[in-house]
Amino acid sequence: MNLVIQTIKDGTIKAVKTTLTLMKVVLPVYAFVVIIKYSPVMAFLERLFEPAMRFFLLPGEAVVPLITGLFTDEYGAIATASQFGFTTAEITTIAMIGLVCHSLPVEYALSRQIGLPAGRFVLFRVFGAVIVGLAISRLGGVFL
Amino acid sequence: MTASWSVILNEIVTGSFSTVINVLKVLIPLMILIEFFHVFHVMEKLAKKLTPVTKVLGLSPPAILPLLVATVMGVTYGTGTLIEMNRRNPLPKKDFILIAVFFFTCHGIIETTAIWGTAGANILVISVGRLLFAAIFTMVAARLPIFKGPEYVEEQAE
Repeated sequence: MNLVIQTIKDGTIKAVKTTLTLMKVVLPVYAFVVIIKYSPVMAFLERLFEPAMRFFLLPGEAVVPLITGLFTDEYGAIATASQFGFTTAEITTIAMIGLVCHSLPVEYALSRQIGLPAGRFVLFRVFGAVIVGLAISRLGGVFL
Repeated sequence: MTASWSVILNEIVTGSFSTVINVLKVLIPLMILIEFFHVFHVMEKLAKKLTPVTKVLGLSPPAILPLLVATVMGVTYGTGTLIEMNRRNPLPKKDFILIAVFFFTCHGIIETTAIWGTAGANILVISVGRLLFAAIFTMVAARLPIFKGPEYVEEQAE
């Protein structure tokens, strides 16, 4: 019984710690993206990336959570994705692309540390994310 | 700017806090569950039953444990398991790379799925879909010539 209580305690502590790191990511990212969203930069970004995003059947705004995800992490991507009114199919596509390919700088450093060909893995993830994005967006159109 | 600064500030504060609270609602119970998995060695028991999966993926049997741990519990536990395994009984380099291929495509499936679920994504697609993609990528990579130096071929023959 003692072990059970200890486990619950450890789990909660870990969750709280994760929340703190979460806040550190979400707050600045959220602030930055809200400002971008209301600034003229947004319209420019949308126009610039619309053709690329159409490839994944996504609106131009979708580029914002995707780029955020690349450089920060999944939580940053979620914070960003919840700001635009994406449909279920769109957000599923964004989630899948983001989940395959996120926090590249941090995970590049990490994979170097454990002795992997880190550069090749970054390429693999970007390539993988494109394949996944193409497939899921097509599937999403059918099922969602 | 197409909105006033007070609107922007309000959106930043309420939006970021509600995002964090939404994430927390799923994160706390999940972290406790994952801690239980860790303490009661659930993954080790499950790994024994899932050993045949490694053959399909093109890995050697002991690789299933770090794979399973990373997929279900998250990448920190996964790398921990992998490093510990490597210290005791090093995995062949090919397995190491293939595990990484799987890792990078699909990790922490419970946690990330639940969190993206709160953001409105389809839970089934992002969990099962990711597993499938990770499996396909690993299977393809295992059979690619780029990962196969001469030393790996010997390892496979054993």
